[in-house]
Amino acid sequence: MLPLLTWLQGSALASRIRDSLFIFPLLESAHVVGLALVVGTIAVIDLRLLGIASRERSFRRMASDIMKWTWSAFAVTALTGSLMFITNAAVYFHNVSFRVKMALLVLAGLNMLVFELTAGRTIREWDQAPAAPPIGKAVATLSLVIWIAVIFAGRIIGFTTTRASLAEPAPADVNFEDLLGVQPAKK
Amino acid sequence: MKLFAEWLSTTRPSVFIQEHNAWAIPTIQSIHIVGIAMVMGSVLLIDLRILGWAGMDQTLRQTVRRFGPWLTNSLWLMLATGVLMVVGEPVRELLTFSFWLKMALVAIGAVVAVIFQTTLRRHDQQWGETLVHRPSIRTLAILTFLVWACIIVLGRLIAYDHIWGSWSPAATQ
Repeated sequence: MLPLLTWLQGSALASRIRDSLFIFPLLESAHVVGLALVVGTIAVIDLRLLGIASRERSFRRMASDIMKWTWSAFAVTALTGSLMFITNAAVYFHNVSFRVKMALLVLAGLNMLVFELTAGRTIREWDQAPAAPPIGKAVATLSLVIWIAVIFAGRIIGFTTTRASLAEPAPADVNFEDLLGVQPAKK
Repeated sequence: MKLFAEWLSTTRPSVFIQEHNAWAIPTIQSIHIVGIAMVMGSVLLIDLRILGWAGMDQTLRQTVRRFGPWLTNSLWLMLATGVLMVVGEPVRELLTFSFWLKMALVAIGAVVAVIFQTTLRRHDQQWGETLVHRPSIRTLAILTFLVWACIIVLGRLIAYDHIWGSWSPAATQ
């Protein structure tokens, strides 16, 4: 595993991200926008399964409307997460919170699989019902717990790892001020 | 502001959070993120309904009645956890450009959400359906979504305020 981590960390892409004043913070920001959309839309589906909200709507209709946005947001989150990972791969890989978070993501996937194999097979019978059958409710409850735990674990990664950044930005480094052209261009 | 931030950091609640920093700050931040997830989910689904891209089995009024209260309540949750973060780390929060720009956008986002919900409640079902065909409302839907996305970005940038150069109050100290 270690050679792969070292290779990732040493890649040109990883050092490009590390060397920039902006890229890492903006990746982190996009990661939060993505995960907010993932968790926010999943919660809508889970609350429907539990019969807490949207009780009068067809589950199938709702799920097909919403899940494509969930998956698109998940793609953004996974991509930005991977890019942050490679900047300091060995450190993240050995971080407990990071491992817990990855395990939780696998669990979230298995939880979805359980749904597909159980309540997902009988949607026709409860599509218009105010709530899903018990197994569907159990999956929904677990899903809410897992995703909130993913957020906690993710936040703790930031507190238990030091970011690999190249210390002080060079004096000639541009910041937003320069990008927006507030200061007269340096000749 | 610097004096206020320094005074705030000596108050009892602030000292309490600082003393329990190991778990207090990450916990409050995580709840704050759960809150923004609820906000983003609600804003997304209302905006998608306005644009006609999702939830077309429901009227706009039904959609807003479903997601409006979750949006508003999540905003209260975010205000509460946000205040706790400011109390816990006054200097880190208040002496940044990102924080104040974020607050300006939060004010815009919240005012738009409240006006939109109350206006829609005052009219009948039909009105909502004519509303969604107005280009101005469709533009507003996209803009509000972007405002909330920018609020998230600025929230994260509080930790990296140096990227604003001399606009950051921290830079002049």
